[in-house]
Amino acid sequence: MSSVASQRPNGLALFILPGALLFASFFFLPIGLMALMSVLTGNPVVMPKVSFTTRHYARMIGDPYYLEVIWTTIRIGLVTTLVALLIGYPLAHWMARIKSRTGHALLLMAVLAPMLTGIVVRTFAWMTLLSDKGVVNQTLMSLGLIAQPLKLMYTETGIVVGLVHIYVPFMVLTLTGVIGRIDERLEQAAENLGASPLRAFLEVTLPLSLPGILAGSLLVFALAISAYVTPILLGGFQIMTLPILIYQQISANFNVGFAAALGIVLLVISLLLVIAYNRALGLVSGQRELQ
Amino acid sequence: MSASIEIAGVSKVYDGGVRAVDTVAMDIRQGEFFSLLGPSGCGKTTTLRMIAGFETPSAGAIRVDGADITHVPAHKRDMGMVFQNYALFPHRTVAENVAFGLRMRGLDKTTIAAKVKAALAMVELSGLEDRRPAQLSGGQQQRVALARAIVIAPRVLLCDEPLGALDKKLRQQMQFELKQLQKKLGLTLVFVTHDQEEALAMSDRIAVMNGGRVEQVGTPTEIYDQPKTRFVADFIGDTNIFRGERVGPNLDVGKNLILALPATEAQGAAVLSVALRPEKIRLTLRADVAGAAGSSVHGMVENTNFLGGAVLYRVTLEGGHRVLVQQPNAGTTHLFVPGNGVTLEWTPADLVVLKD
Repeated sequence: MSSVASQRPNGLALFILPGALLFASFFFLPIGLMALMSVLTGNPVVMPKVSFTTRHYARMIGDPYYLEVIWTTIRIGLVTTLVALLIGYPLAHWMARIKSRTGHALLLMAVLAPMLTGIVVRTFAWMTLLSDKGVVNQTLMSLGLIAQPLKLMYTETGIVVGLVHIYVPFMVLTLTGVIGRIDERLEQAAENLGASPLRAFLEVTLPLSLPGILAGSLLVFALAISAYVTPILLGGFQIMTLPILIYQQISANFNVGFAAALGIVLLVISLLLVIAYNRALGLVSGQRELQ
Repeated sequence: MSASIEIAGVSKVYDGGVRAVDTVAMDIRQGEFFSLLGPSGCGKTTTLRMIAGFETPSAGAIRVDGADITHVPAHKRDMGMVFQNYALFPHRTVAENVAFGLRMRGLDKTTIAAKVKAALAMVELSGLEDRRPAQLSGGQQQRVALARAIVIAPRVLLCDEPLGALDKKLRQQMQFELKQLQKKLGLTLVFVTHDQEEALAMSDRIAVMNGGRVEQVGTPTEIYDQPKTRFVADFIGDTNIFRGERVGPNLDVGKNLILALPATEAQGAAVLSVALRPEKIRLTLRADVAGAAGSSVHGMVENTNFLGGAVLYRVTLEGGHRVLVQQPNAGTTHLFVPGNGVTLEWTPADLVVLKD
């Protein structure tokens, strides 16, 4: 007879049940349905006669337009991530190393404050800045630096500017945590051994903050490629990204199957990144975890 | 080549007016094992960090071999440092850690490899080249940190409580090895510690610090046997301190106790403190014949503290003073028990007059 204790459910296990149920019903179920829809000829709820098909995926691969959209989405994601990293890293380093508590609080507020305003509001603010008659162009023209307004809106640059503004806080907060845990004395040890402050940073702090760089980049990239409002408002439908395309397929074309297939592609890109992230992290810090 | 260090009136005042280091002056000689000793917060680590260049003095100057380095950045000072937590680079192997300083000096690969090998052999870590710091024991990490600091042949080796994290046995072994290495290489070594035994055991000279100031600089025997201030007498080892008024050649410390002052202290302040080390007192079972007045007194053993090689007695004197007396453990029959009437005797010359 097996012991009674081992058959009794662990008390702690009950606590994860609500979370697990929520996750199952609102994450796995919808994604499963989406995956299913992407290989069906139609919506089984309204069309009783449906069969399996790969035509949605074939259409995507066969038409350079859709591949172009996928590539644009990835490109915007990559550039946004890179710019957010370049802006976010120095800020995060400053925040992690600042001695004064007040200084830290002020920096944290500065990073978090934009997040208190909705994405739509912030994107509209960028439109007033970037449009042909916007603040940027007006200023440059009145200074005589340019004759014609620069085309800032309805370009990828405009979208990237908007996305970077929205997602930099995610990068900064992720990096601050990681950099803050790196012992400052390591940099001092490097300087003591003859490394200039820059060299000490490159040899010690930067490699040790790689996990944070990877995590922050992954987060920003995933958010940027799935962004919807900003690419629409700042791209004005002239720059097509996957989320916009998916929305069009559902609301304008009622092609739920194709939209589902596009959604799966977006998901797969993100998943591949997570896998690559784990691999990279393993390579960077794998041996450190040995003991 | 090892260098001498001159610390000339150096102060460090932090924002908010905290004086961590207050007009500290000392000369550290070439090839000397010099300890900065004091309780936490006495400014010893800040002083070391200013020598290393991690902190800038608010006033004063630091000179190495006569050249002012007060404002030379840390990476151009050519000093080795062993940090309290070792500060080994966790993402690099033992060999890479040790090679770091050589790489920064732009040496070629074969030279670096040879020097790393020699340094690791010197600290007896050959064979662990490819380990990561996390895979080493505390003692091994300590040796890597030491190898990394000495491989660059620094002008000065700075150690910030490097043995603090080791257990007692290992610490004693490392004390011995570090001292030996320092002598062999002729290194000028500045050693920060709060452990007085460690400082006494290892140093050529010690600077005792308190509240950001230097209380006394001297050899271990000077610091122990001729403490200049009450703080030094109290901080280093156990001691009995009496304060009283000068009466002729004696000191009246109250409660019917009159101490004969050393002959050399015939002149001086009217009110003064003296220190008497517990082991400078001889303890015998109470004899009816009184000893010499001023250097002998009767008392009763209150409790005993067996230390192994010695026994520490707390003795209440007839007038009520309590003193510590340490006697070597000369065998069970010679030990006293609480309640024993005893006679205490000492040589007046062993009384040390303190500056308050």
